[in-house]
Parts: sequence; C-alpha cells; structure tokens
Amino acid sequence: MSDHAELAQKISALAAKDTVFEAGARVISTGGEPNPVSAILNEIDDTILERNLEIRADDAVVNLIVSGRRLRGIAGASSGADGVLGQVLSREEPEVVAAVFAVLSELCGQAQRLTARYLPPTAFGKDGERGISVKGLAELWQLDLDETPKPPMERFLRANRAAAVAMLHMRDGELQSSAGDVAALQSILDKQLAEFRASQSYGSGTQLICLEGAFSDGTAAALAIHNDDVAVIAYQPAHLGALHASWRAILG
Amino acid sequence: MVVDELDALRNANQGCEMLAFADLSTQMILVTDTAANAPRETLDRLCNEAMTMLGAGRKVVLGEEPSTAALVANAEGVRVFLRAADEPNDVLCCVCAPELDVEAFVADARERLNRISSGA
Repeated sequence: MSDHAELAQKISALAAKDTVFEAGARVISTGGEPNPVSAILNEIDDTILERNLEIRADDAVVNLIVSGRRLRGIAGASSGADGVLGQVLSREEPEVVAAVFAVLSELCGQAQRLTARYLPPTAFGKDGERGISVKGLAELWQLDLDETPKPPMERFLRANRAAAVAMLHMRDGELQSSAGDVAALQSILDKQLAEFRASQSYGSGTQLICLEGAFSDGTAAALAIHNDDVAVIAYQPAHLGALHASWRAILG
Repeated sequence: MVVDELDALRNANQGCEMLAFADLSTQMILVTDTAANAPRETLDRLCNEAMTMLGAGRKVVLGEEPSTAALVANAEGVRVFLRAADEPNDVLCCVCAPELDVEAFVADARERLNRISSGA
C-alpha cells in the first residue's frame, strides 16, 4: 500500500461515525474484539507525533510512549511492569521486547473494554532510541493485525469460555461449536426452547437469559440469542455478573 | 417494612427503576416501588414473566429444576427475578436499566428479599 493510500485509510478510520468515546477516551476494543494487543498496536500505528498513549483495560492502566508509528516503551502501568518501565524497545534486546508483550497481554489481553487516550509525551529514553515499528512488533509477537473480526456470538462465547462448564452454539439449526458435556444443553434445545420462546411476553430479539440453579447439580443455565445464533451455556452462578457484562459489551 | 426495603434497594442501586414484591402461588403483585406509576398491564406482564422464568408450580422452563433467580437482558434493559430462600413463592421482580451492576444488585436484592420474606 502506498503512503498516500495508507494515510487516507487512517484519516477515514479516525473520521468513522461509529467511533465510541467514554469520558474522553476512545473505545478501541470490546469483548476481546479486536484482540486487545492488536488494538493497541493499531493505535500506535496511527500515531505520528510523540505521545503518551494511555490505555485503560477494564481496571488496569498502561502508559505507552509512542512516536512515528513505533512503540518506544512503557512509561507506567497499574501493575506488573516494574522490570520494563522506562526501557526503550530495541531488537537487540529481545528479552525486553518479550517482557513488554507479556505485560500488555497480562494487563490487557483479557479485557472486556479497552480505551485509548493521547496525553502529552513525558521524557523517555534518549532521542536516538526510536523503539520498534508496529509491523516489527506484530512480526515479533506473531500477531495478525488484519485478522477478520469474528461474529458477535463467537466473541461472546470465547470471552466466557473459562466460566462455562459446557456450551453449545447453533446457527440456523446447525451446530457451530460445543465444549464440555452438552447432553443437558442439547436437551434444552431439543425439548424446551421452542415452547419457551413462544411463551416469552417481552419479545424475542437479541437477549440473554440466565437461570440460577437450572441444573440438578446446582449449575446455572444461560441462553443467548442473537439473530440466527442461539447459544446455551452451563456455568457456575458466581459468574453471572461477568456473563452479563460481556454480553452487554458484545451483544447488548 | 416491605416498602422501606424496596425503597432502599432502588435508591442504593443505580439503574434500578422498578421493583415488585409478588406471591407466585396467587400470581399477585403485593407491593411495588417505582418512581413513576406503572400501568396494571405492565405489572401483570412482569408477574407472568416471573412465573415463566422461576417456574411457578415447579414447571421448569429451561433446564432440570425451577430456578432460584433469573435474569433477562436485552438492549432496553435488565429484568431480574429472585425467589426467597425460605419461602419459594415470595419473589422479587426488578426492572432495571442496561448498565446495571448485576453482581452487586443481585446480592443486595437477595438479602433484602430474604428479610422481607422472613418478616425480619
């Protein structure tokens, strides 16, 4: 891609009408989509002048010094970055580059919501220490920045995989994916779902239904519906809040 | 007092818009708490949904057992239905905004419902 075409693409992205802001910060990833670390790299790739790029990932914060579409290093973080704070990235120090990736993955990798805010730069390293370009980092960290976004239901299920005892995802009646022992979930789909949906008095669009104690072993059942996608999940009741938060971030 | 508990629950939880304490055995809403008057049809529909979700008369809607708590979320909001621990026919129906902090709200609502139900 030529420089002009790339510049035009970036200006177009910045002017996009569906950009969401929260308290002055731009939302760059929700429900794990795009991949949070990739979303950070995309932000860096859009930054020409030197800036302190503040990334908020749910409750975590990390401040990156970026310039010329390169990541120079980490200037601050809410936790876990002591070993790399203030160090300018260089291909000659691969352990630092790997440690920065570990910090970003730890702080941001599982975040439901990522926001970016540009602050004035703070003194960082020496003038000649330019850091590493986004393309270089993507290559070193093995990230595909052009990855096609996954459909919302797949993102929702992926975000809740750890909380699920079992899950079953159907689209237009065709099995898309399953995990765990799905016999009880299959029974819901086969024997109860049609009657349940017919009985709903509040409509049947995109929705999440959670039923605590729905299974005899004490696990809860969740039913997520979005267009032609239907997913049934068995989960521990303690995950209700997280399940709803991710549903709202991705499908709500 | 039921009204005081419901008032306190609504005031303590941002996004909580309407509460109704109901008896599933008679399918009646006994007490409501809302900033604006709710039409009778709205309350009836809420009570019907509570019966469906929690499984009145041990009828199971989804799964193997009647639920002790249910949540229904869509773009317009969140509805939460809770069954009292010692008196399964005592239920709390809650209509809330989409941004409700579900975890905190359910914990608070459950505690207050159990107090209401036990007459404490």
